Formats: sequence, structure tokens, C-alpha cells
Amino acid sequence: MPTTLRIALLAGLLALLSNLAVIGFIYERTHDEAVASLHRQVVEQSKVLTDVYRTGGKKALNEAIDDTLAYADPQTAVALISSDGRELKGNVATAPSVQSMQEGYHSAVVRLRGQPSPHLGELVLSRLSGGEWLVSGRLVGEGIAFRTTLERSLILALAVAGLLGLLCGVILAHYVSRRIGQIAAVANRISARNLSQRVPLSGAGDSFDRLGLQINAMLDRISMLMEELRLLTDSLAHDLRSPVSRLRSAAHAAAQTSDPGEQEELLGSVVRNADALIRILTTVLEISRSEALTGRNQFAWFDVRELAAELAEMYDPLADERGAALKFERPDRAVPLFGHRQLLAQALSNLLENAIRYGSKGGKIDVRVQPGEKRIRIEVADRGPGIPLNRREEAMKRFGRLDSSRSDEGAGLGLALAQSIAHLHDGELHLEDNGPGLLTSLEIPVHRQQSAR
Amino acid sequence: MGRKILLVEDDRETASYLAKGLTQEGHSVEQATNGQDGLFRATDGSFDLIILDRMLPVLDGLSVLRALRAAHIETPVLILSALASVGDRIEGLECGSDDYLVKPFSFAELLARVNALLRRRESRVDPADHRLTVGDLEIDPLSRSVKRAGKKLDLKPREYLLLEYFARNEGRVVTRTMLLEQVWDYHFDPGTNVIDVHVSRLRRKLDEGFEKPLLHTVRGAGYMLAA
Repeated sequence: MPTTLRIALLAGLLALLSNLAVIGFIYERTHDEAVASLHRQVVEQSKVLTDVYRTGGKKALNEAIDDTLAYADPQTAVALISSDGRELKGNVATAPSVQSMQEGYHSAVVRLRGQPSPHLGELVLSRLSGGEWLVSGRLVGEGIAFRTTLERSLILALAVAGLLGLLCGVILAHYVSRRIGQIAAVANRISARNLSQRVPLSGAGDSFDRLGLQINAMLDRISMLMEELRLLTDSLAHDLRSPVSRLRSAAHAAAQTSDPGEQEELLGSVVRNADALIRILTTVLEISRSEALTGRNQFAWFDVRELAAELAEMYDPLADERGAALKFERPDRAVPLFGHRQLLAQALSNLLENAIRYGSKGGKIDVRVQPGEKRIRIEVADRGPGIPLNRREEAMKRFGRLDSSRSDEGAGLGLALAQSIAHLHDGELHLEDNGPGLLTSLEIPVHRQQSAR
Repeated sequence: MGRKILLVEDDRETASYLAKGLTQEGHSVEQATNGQDGLFRATDGSFDLIILDRMLPVLDGLSVLRALRAAHIETPVLILSALASVGDRIEGLECGSDDYLVKPFSFAELLARVNALLRRRESRVDPADHRLTVGDLEIDPLSRSVKRAGKKLDLKPREYLLLEYFARNEGRVVTRTMLLEQVWDYHFDPGTNVIDVHVSRLRRKLDEGFEKPLLHTVRGAGYMLAA
């Protein structure tokens, strides 16, 4: 898997780089340390010897040189050279010529007596008051040897670190790809038919778990929506079936009959059933458009009081015919609202038609508009049988008509449409108990009106 | 009474069905099958009415309408559309169309609206419609008073508006949807017979006690006020 490989290589490379940085630092520091300590030793040794000469003279210096050579380590180089270039004392086999000598600290290649090859040394040359030259210093071979050992072990450490980094990377990549693989496998098994799969959680609460939780929540929501959609499709199909079959049989009978009067009657029934179908489809479309919040561009200011008054007046004769007195309690002042006048008119007319259709027997239907600080409430209250608490949600669903006969003229879409229109306005449709009867209300928040425009 | 109508409709079946029906009514119909063609023909301004499908190839109906209105061609336009939502209807009307009809529609509905639009054009030519009379019915739009055979009728404001609309379309079929749109200015489809109830109330006040009814029901289409 290339991603796994990339992660492994990246982790290995990072481990290598960080180790390289640490090792480089250590190397630099130890190197500097070694050089500095060598320098100190050389300077100190030279200073001790010149001090001895200054206080004790040549004899004391000779003894000191002997002591140094006897007790010091084999890297020590000491020589006393006469002004004409002869070595008077010491262990330096090849000394620099007197002519080229200058006082001070030097790096030079010297061979010590008893050693086969010359080595690089750090030397201090000092001219003594008698004219002789004192050569005092150390070979740096020791430091070089130390450095090579250090270098070798550092390279080894680096190789080990690189390998470990690579191994870490492989393990990490494997872990990551396993967790991602689980999620991907679940996503793979998900299809429209099977939404039951869920991402397994490790319980560690890490980011993979959080991702899994989010995916699971998304799947829950999708399956809920799918279920809703399935129910909707089922009920839509169910509700379309009866007008379609009535339409079909009427059309069929009209084609068969030879009696013009009967034919006209049957064709009239074809048209009526087709109209019913169109009405259902238009309403379903209107609901889904409102739910998708299209239509907000047509929002404008209007007076809810006038709208309610107009609709109450419009439905008053219909309620009257069905034996109910429709009464509108007109507020004293205008109730401005920023919204979709036509859609709110439709929502309110649905509530009115609902009240007239199911609540006329109660004899009284009240329409109220209540302006509030935060929300405007438009109420329709009847005194009919009402809807029991546990069935109110069902009543607001699409095709949620509560009588199972489905013979009534309404397709059970009215409350669903009113609710989706309320949602378009960031509001809600409420079904409440009117004790007795049903109280339906549209609650539209005011904040939206202020934010708009 | 034959008029020149431009029909812009890309669906051949619908177009020939409408053209045939309108020709039978005595109108002369010219056809265009896409928006650009339709706009080109409409710009000569000689038509009495344009029937414009909303979804057209090349140039959609609303764009054609906007272009026409921008060019100050004020020929009445009736939009036909399969877009049935309230928002779509309002959008169509706001673009400058005179009427909006949702597909599928009955030919009777289309004809009623075509006649209403043509009639409106007539009355523009003749502004002297101070008093409206239909048979022995007399309407004064200024004082909003109505008399039948010299006897004053007591109508509610909405009943008056309903009657005035009927009177302005005297002898022509008026559908329920037209009443809802023109008299109430609502563009949704009520699920009840609320319009019929209003019309029958008006009819009771108008025709009760008179031998000859003025307000007639036209089966499968709507109503008509005629002497």
C-alpha cells in the first residue's frame, strides 16, 4: 500500500534527521571539548616548565624535563634545544629547525623518539633567557583516536536510529491504515439497502474514535431520512393509487359506452381524478421546496392582521355552511411580518380548512393573531374532537391523516405543508389541546424579520 | 372578434392542441418553438396576446418576457408553466406577465384566461367604463353601488369585488382559480369548495326573486355572468 509505505518512510526519515541533529550536536561539543582540553594541557605544561626555568635555572629545568618524561603519558613531547639547533634534552626526534622557530602556539608534525612515525602535535615554543628554545607539547593522536571511536559509534547509533525510525513508521502506518481501513470497509459495505453498518470504536476516545462517532451519527441521520423517504414514497404511492385506479376505470368505461350522457359523466370523473392527482403532486412539491428554503428571496413586509382578517372572511361562509361560527379577534394594531405572504396565506388556509373539515361540529372556530416580543403567533382553534397527544406528531407528517379510511377529500398534506412553511420562516407549527378541540398555531420568530434587510 | 395570438411552445403536441382550439374560437394563431424565435416574432408588436411557455429551448420564457418589457412592448402575456409552486407563480407574474397558468390545465381554463386578457386590452382602448350594465343589472364602480331592476342590492365588500370582476368579463367564462387570483390575490389551490360557497352566496343576493338568472354555472369550467 503506497500510503503505508509513504508514512513509514516519512517516519523513518524524521527519526533519522532528529537523531542526526542530536548526534551532530554531541559530536561538535565533544570535539570542541577535546581540542580545548588539549590546548589547556599544552599551555599549562609549557608554563610550568618556563616557570621552573625562571625560578630554578637550567638545572631545575633539566630535572623537570626528566620528571615530565618519566611520569607523563607517552603523548607528551618535550625538548630543550640550544640556540644553534642541537637538542640538549627531551624526546623529540625531529624538531623544527631553529631558524624557522617563532615563539608561541603551533601545530606541527613531530616524531618522538622511540616511535616509528611522525604525528601531528600541538606545541608551544618559548625562548628561554639563556637563548635556548623550549619545545613543549602533546601529540594529538590520542584525541584523533577518540574522535574516530566516537565517529564510529555515532554512525552505528545513527544507523540503529534510522532503522528504529523506519520500524516505528511501519508500525504507525500499519496502525493508521488498520483504523482507516476499518472505517473504509464500513463505508464500503454501506449501500442504499444496508445502512445498518457502524464503524467500530476502540474506546480510546482518540481522533479515530471521534471520526468514527461522526460517521456513525451521519449514518444514523441518513438511515432516519431514508426511512422517512421510504414511508413518504409508500404513502404517496398509496394515496396516488386510488385516484389513478378510479381514473383508469372511468376512462376505460368512457371508451366502452355509447351513451353520450354517460360518456360525458365518466369523462368528467376522469378530469376530477386527474385534478386530485395534480393537487397532491403540487402540494408535495410545495412542501419539499419550502423545506429546501427556496422562496426566501420573495420575502417582503406585510401585515399579518390583514392577512388573517382576509382569510377569516374568505372561509367564514364555508364554516357557516358546515355549522360553525368563524370568529376573528382583530388586534388593535397592525402586526408587521417579514415573510412570504402567499405561502403564509396558504399555511393559514390549510389550518382553517383543517378546522372546518374536522372541527365544525364544535360550532365555533376562533382565529387569533398574537404579536409578541420575540414571536408572532397565528392561532386557529376549533371545538371539535381534537387530536390525542400521542398522535399529534403523526398528524403533521406528510399523508399523516388520522382516519384510516382515506375516503375524505383531503390528502393529509395540509398540516405537513403548514409545518414546512413555518420552517421556511424559522418558525414552528404547534398542535395543542383546546380543551375540547384542537388548537393549531404558527409561531414565527421576530428575530428573522430584523435580521432581514 | 378574431384576434392575433402568438403561441411560443416547444412541445409540439401541446402547441398543435392549443393552436387548433384557439383557431376554432376564431383567433388566428402563429407559432414559434423556441424562445429566440418567439422573441423575434413578438417584437413586431402586432399581436393581441402572447402565450409563452416558461421552459423553452435557446432562450427561456421569462427571459423572452423581460426582453419584451425592456423593449416597451406591452402586448399581454400569458405564461404557461409546469412549475406549479406558489413561488414560481409569483416570480412569473413579477417578471411582467399578465397571467400565469400552471400545466396541466384544461382548455376551458386557458380559453377563459385568454378571453379575459383580450377583453382587458379592449377596455384599455375604451376607458369610458364608468358604469357597468349586464341586462337589468347596473354597477357603479365609483360608489360601489349595485342595482338590479332599479332595486338596490346590499353586498359585502368581497361580494361586490366578485360581482365587478364578473361584470367586467361579461359573457365570458370565469374559472374558480381566476376568481381566487383576481378577486382575492391568492395563488394557491384551496382544497375545499370555498370559492363556490362565495359565488353561491352572491348568486342568492343577485338572482333570488328574479325570473331570469344572471350568474350561470358553466360545467367543467366555472361561472359566467350574462343577461
